[in-house]
Amino acid sequence: MLKYTVKRILTMIPMLIGISLLAFIISINAPVDPIEKLTRSAESEGEAGSSSVATKIQKQEWRKKLGLDLPIFYFSISNFATTDTLYKVQDRDHQKNLSKLTHETGNWNAVSNYFNSLIKLERKYEKIDIKELYKQDSSLDINVLNEAKNQFGSTVKNLLANSDSRIINNGLSTLYSLINNNDFLTPLKPHVNKVKKSKNFLEANKTKWKTYIPSLNWYGFKNQYHTWLFGNGNERKGLIRGDFGFSYRDQKKVEDKIWEKIEVSFKFSLISILIAYLVSIPLGIFSAYKKDSTADRTISVVLFVLYAMPSFFVGLLLLFAFANPDTYSFFPVGGLKDPTTWNPDWKWWHWDAIEHTIPYLILPIITYTYSSFAFLSRIMRIGMIDVINQDYIRTARAKGLSEKTVILKHALRNSLLPIITVFAAIFPMAIGGSIIIEVIFSIPGIGVEILNSLTGGDYPMIITIFTISGFLTMVGYLVSDLLYAVADPRISYK
Amino acid sequence: MNKVRKSEKTNVENFSFKKYAWSQFKKNKPAKFSLYLLILIIIIAIFAPYLANERPLYAKYKGKTIYPAFADETQRDSIFNEKGEFESVLQYDITDWRTLEYEKVIWAPITYDNTFQDKYNRNYVSPGGNQRYKNSKGEITKIPNKFRHYLGTDNIGRDLAAGLIHGSRIALLVGLISMGIASIIGIILGALAGFFGDTRLKMPRVKYWFTIIGVFFGMFYGFGSRKYELGEAFGQSVSSGLVQLLISFGVIIGVIILFRLFSRLLLFGFLKKEVDVPIDSFVSRGIELLNSIPRLLLIITISSIVTRSIWIVMVIIGLTSWTGIARFTRAEFFRIRSLEYVQAAQSLGFSSIRTIFKHALPNALAPVFVSIAFGIASAILIESGLSFLGIGVPADMVTWGSQLNQGRSNLEAWWVIVFPGIAIFITITVYNTIAEAMRDALDPKLKS
Repeated sequence: MLKYTVKRILTMIPMLIGISLLAFIISINAPVDPIEKLTRSAESEGEAGSSSVATKIQKQEWRKKLGLDLPIFYFSISNFATTDTLYKVQDRDHQKNLSKLTHETGNWNAVSNYFNSLIKLERKYEKIDIKELYKQDSSLDINVLNEAKNQFGSTVKNLLANSDSRIINNGLSTLYSLINNNDFLTPLKPHVNKVKKSKNFLEANKTKWKTYIPSLNWYGFKNQYHTWLFGNGNERKGLIRGDFGFSYRDQKKVEDKIWEKIEVSFKFSLISILIAYLVSIPLGIFSAYKKDSTADRTISVVLFVLYAMPSFFVGLLLLFAFANPDTYSFFPVGGLKDPTTWNPDWKWWHWDAIEHTIPYLILPIITYTYSSFAFLSRIMRIGMIDVINQDYIRTARAKGLSEKTVILKHALRNSLLPIITVFAAIFPMAIGGSIIIEVIFSIPGIGVEILNSLTGGDYPMIITIFTISGFLTMVGYLVSDLLYAVADPRISYK
Repeated sequence: MNKVRKSEKTNVENFSFKKYAWSQFKKNKPAKFSLYLLILIIIIAIFAPYLANERPLYAKYKGKTIYPAFADETQRDSIFNEKGEFESVLQYDITDWRTLEYEKVIWAPITYDNTFQDKYNRNYVSPGGNQRYKNSKGEITKIPNKFRHYLGTDNIGRDLAAGLIHGSRIALLVGLISMGIASIIGIILGALAGFFGDTRLKMPRVKYWFTIIGVFFGMFYGFGSRKYELGEAFGQSVSSGLVQLLISFGVIIGVIILFRLFSRLLLFGFLKKEVDVPIDSFVSRGIELLNSIPRLLLIITISSIVTRSIWIVMVIIGLTSWTGIARFTRAEFFRIRSLEYVQAAQSLGFSSIRTIFKHALPNALAPVFVSIAFGIASAILIESGLSFLGIGVPADMVTWGSQLNQGRSNLEAWWVIVFPGIAIFITITVYNTIAEAMRDALDPKLKS
């Protein structure tokens, strides 16, 4: 038994690595750039000073802090034409554009040449100071100057983010006409010329065949995944030492955010599963014992109906019926406590706290419970019917044992077997299954946290939740397998 | 007495499992009723545009006979008055059909479609409430009975009944397509894993290696080299994207075949030695991996990073729910592969592929069908859950789940909660009942 358990725990490790890899693959394909999100939220707070140089430096710092300046994985598979240092490019749009250009032309040197000339142009352009010009020659119209400058800037930005040859040509001709019409832009002309020259060179020197040869780039152990898993030796400790990294949204530690949420969700599922078991086992026994009676048929139909009711439908119906000023306003609409009347000094075992919380719990717990309860009762009934028809039950009855002893002592233990399987579902339910219910009742649990992380592009959180829920699911399977052996001595793992 | 015996005798002689299962199924009254109900839902889904349409099915307008509901949206008709002079142009997409004065007209049962926004009945008008209507003279009056919103409206004035009718299409399609994908993957993988196990598929070593290398190169040419083509095609429309995806799969298979052909040149010595291909381990580990992630979590995560489209949601549900089907198929194949007739087929020299798909598979399908029927119910449930959360499905798309979602923000509008909820509930119950009856009919041992 012990050997078996150890073996099972050991096989969990490759599975966990698989799950974390799956989560990682999902997260690197995410459309949201976390750094852009972070800087934008900081800018809206007005502390970044909106100077582009300052934001660039800040972006760099954040990248370093979150470990985003590292390559993603131990190795990458790309083609012969692409460079292996593309991850060093900071801006995500630029990175995408570069890889697309390389994909189309197959000539990394020419592409990077072209791109560098564009970036140089952008830098030179940023140095042009309209106010200075205005001081020198006050006959100029400052609005016209500004407009021309802005147009120039947006065209350059556009060029940096586009790989389509037509758009590039259009952009270049816009730049030329802007330079011809505005004298103050003339110093930029040689740089635009350079861009055009490198662009022409790029068009003339396509080596598309290079993109058809796969190549494997080895990055070594300094990568994002390795840092996430094992840490980097400094401030990051890595998952195996209990450090889940930083949340992209507020740069708090993931584990600080996650555990209290999991606790909330876990309490809910534990309570509801307990209630479900307490109700469904007697109900299933009764139903099986009175098989094909009117009571059994009614119970079966009701359970079948309950089983097919979507939880979000039931939740909304409950809210509509019992938390609605138009009908009955017995319970609050959502949340876990009322901040205006909640006393922060209360501990959870204080009577006042319990009295305060219970109305908030009733509707969610009913919603949590009913579906698993219907499912469990049906399984219990089938299992019991199966057992009652067996010979040893007939023997027990023939011995003259009371019906109570026969059912509750002889039959019950064996009929519990199928219901144990379901126990494995508690742990994953604590995370995955609760999303919809938590959203309906606005409970601050892990389900709502998952949704917020998804919409916020907070991938460290998502990978962590994925890995933890995978771990809990496997623990659930293991526990139910071990419980099998407890319930049925015939089963032994050797 | 004699008659009975005779019929029993013929029954035994012409015994067919299909007929037996069907007769068992028919004995189950709730299941039979569910089957009729399902057929009804399918009919509603097929004829949805003619059951709920803001344009009349047939109309005679100023002497002209037209069939607006069957016509294309962009159609324009010239209208002439009695003297034959040109009067106006009837543009099908922008005409307010309800205010025209017809000589004869037949309306669809619901005179709205799922996108039509009735601007006089916005903000959750209840079925029995005071519904307003603008008549042809431009006066706001009480609504005539045939234009009533029988089941009320939502916040932007869309008719709930029309949404339900059109939503049935999405619900049924989700079940069909996602489970179609799941069954293809599940049956193929389960059959291969169950039939060959870990030891029964043997290959020359070089072929085994080259197949793995071929998979890698196939992925590179099929997805890596074509990622921009695929992205652009999916950006244009889902159908063109799917075509590109099919081309990619073709490329992958082609590359694998090429590599396998090439490996024939190297068939000698050490490389020629046959090795076991542990196909069962591959499949089983894959199933375990997928099963250890909560399914809803996985689907929600993937749906939130890809483009919002109902088709993509279907594909995602299909790609994540094949494990149950694969497990059933695998278990059946484990049993079947040692039966005499399969061994006979093999000893006759039939290829493995033929033995699997022609001889063994038809006998393995019974429990798989049950699992597919249950799977359809859960796919519909998952899709409506996703729409309810507002993930994956486009924001302006009307599905049963998205209708329920509106009830979340406005609890007073009970009709927005009750009717879509009942629709989802009925569909899921129907599938569950049919699945249970199928299980009982196909395998009497499991009967509860």
